[in-house]
Amino acid sequence: MNNYLEGLMTSLEPMNILWVIVGGFLGTIVGMLPGLGPATAVAVLIPITFGMEPISAIILMAAIYYGAMYGGSRSSILLNTPGDGSAIAATFDGYPMAQKGQAGEAMAISAVASFIGGIMAVIGFVFLAEPLANFALKFGPAEYFLLMLLTLSAIVSLSIGKMIKGFLAMSLGLLLSTVGIDTQTGVYRFTLGIPHFSEGIDFLIVIIGVYAIGEVLYNFLTIDQLKKEKKKVGKIWFNKEQWKRSKWPILRSGPLGFIIGVLPGAGGSIASMISYSTEKQMSKKPEEFGKGAVEGLAAPESANNAASVGAMIPLLTMGIPGSGTTAVMLGALIMLGIKPGPLLFENDPTTVWSLINSMFIGNIALVIINILLVGVLVKILDTPAKVLYPIIVLLAFIGTYTLSYSAIDFFLLLVFGLFGLMLKVLDFPIAPLVLALIVGADMEQNFRKAVLSSNGSIDIFFASPISITLIFLTILSISYPAIIKFFQKRKERKNININM
Amino acid sequence: MKIIKMGMPIFLILLSIVFIIGSFNLPKANLGNPNGPLYFPIGLSFLLLIFSVLYLFQELKTLNKENKKITQMLSGRTPKLIGITVLLGVGYAFIFEIIGFLFSTVLFLGALLFVVNGKQKWKVNLIVTVCFSFLSWYAFSVLLGVSLP
Repeated sequence: MNNYLEGLMTSLEPMNILWVIVGGFLGTIVGMLPGLGPATAVAVLIPITFGMEPISAIILMAAIYYGAMYGGSRSSILLNTPGDGSAIAATFDGYPMAQKGQAGEAMAISAVASFIGGIMAVIGFVFLAEPLANFALKFGPAEYFLLMLLTLSAIVSLSIGKMIKGFLAMSLGLLLSTVGIDTQTGVYRFTLGIPHFSEGIDFLIVIIGVYAIGEVLYNFLTIDQLKKEKKKVGKIWFNKEQWKRSKWPILRSGPLGFIIGVLPGAGGSIASMISYSTEKQMSKKPEEFGKGAVEGLAAPESANNAASVGAMIPLLTMGIPGSGTTAVMLGALIMLGIKPGPLLFENDPTTVWSLINSMFIGNIALVIINILLVGVLVKILDTPAKVLYPIIVLLAFIGTYTLSYSAIDFFLLLVFGLFGLMLKVLDFPIAPLVLALIVGADMEQNFRKAVLSSNGSIDIFFASPISITLIFLTILSISYPAIIKFFQKRKERKNININM
Repeated sequence: MKIIKMGMPIFLILLSIVFIIGSFNLPKANLGNPNGPLYFPIGLSFLLLIFSVLYLFQELKTLNKENKKITQMLSGRTPKLIGITVLLGVGYAFIFEIIGFLFSTVLFLGALLFVVNGKQKWKVNLIVTVCFSFLSWYAFSVLLGVSLP
């Protein structure tokens, strides 16, 4: 309780409240830009945290993250162009609502739904985070290795239809993580004799390269096709009937999104899609979905914000990011000297509880920003992408420079930017690459520590119920696409038989 | 288009072979298990090779299928935009520490805006370049205390 109150007091400090508002606003702006989502927002805005107190920095990062989640749905509603995957569902009914002249109502309901979903998830976080951190204390190197394996396999298996590419991206990320001095033995690996590589490839450069430069270069593909649509926003509030239709979908989708967010690999995109289809199935008027049904917008908005809070649980309690954005967050936290994991709750409870409390404040600030400042936000959306993209490229360069104060890293940034572009063009999932690069070094060290502690035997990986459960879940997650395919085929066969 | 489609798997196969050779030639450790630092890279290099070969076969099967994104990347002014952005980035890397943050940023951002946003909008480009370069210098150098050249 003391820790909680201390965290509350820290998050209520005027400067921290200011950072929540600044982060939320900046995140909303970057998240609003078509094609740029929360991962890019956090990656591009990392340099802002330099020179800040770690607690303020983590509060700012989280605010940028949620701000970008809010922002993503603004462009979904107004331009039919989602900021990122988790905002796609907002285009289904949000854009038709805007076309019907209900853009203001759509934005208000999405902000309120995001707010309620976010708050419900933060409450879940308060109750679940500490028990989970205590449970994680039972993990040894073998269990940690298997948990990381499960996270990676889960994130790959979710890229259904492109699993080989997912595994390729993952292998490449893991291989890149082996570059540099081996911390256990001091052996130099793949440094090519370049001193700059002795500490390995800085994953933040890869993240900024792939997510910021790569995304901007990728957006050059359609830069001349972006239509300038001037939307009349109208009144920013919803009527009684709209609220009546939305309240239960919002309340149902919050917990659903939160649970999906906690699961490794599954993120906001899956949460919003599942909540959308659940609401459509439960609705008395499913035919209205896709044509501007307000509940079709409210449910996914509540779910994806709740999922983003849920995704912070494995990140903070175990140091395991479950998605591309939380992987970027992990990179930023490590850079700030904060090592997420079960011990964080014991060693640095103020940071954790300040962050949790700042999520409450952040959600309140964001709903206000998104409703009161909607005019300003829409104006920003009117700013041509052709002006904003060069600015993002510049921010990526500044961010890279501030990592090690060396312009040599600019070359690495460009290489990974081009590589990110190719991955996007060839339809590779990027999250497995980034995630593998970040957890790779820890994964290897835990693997070797586990094998060393059992005198070279791999029996250690089957020695505890936790390990066996993790292995089972890993096998299940890898076979998941095949299972889905099997059931789909069976269903199709059944349908054909019925029709015959 | 076929070159790009086939280029990636071939690049990845070559990369995995380079890593396999490099992994076997890694120095042995003086502490603990001498082969300790080798196992992970060797295993991963082979994993990369296996998936790269599978990817190659996958691409061969769909070689004639059109990839809209590749077509877009090669058409219009997109290749020019990508190429010039990268070249300007390389130039920025060279001049950044020599002429300092403010001047190099004005040159880099200005040139990038003229290329991406067009010469016709020169007024906007100039205003954004000057204002944003100065603002970013002020924010990072003065407000955040980041040491910039």
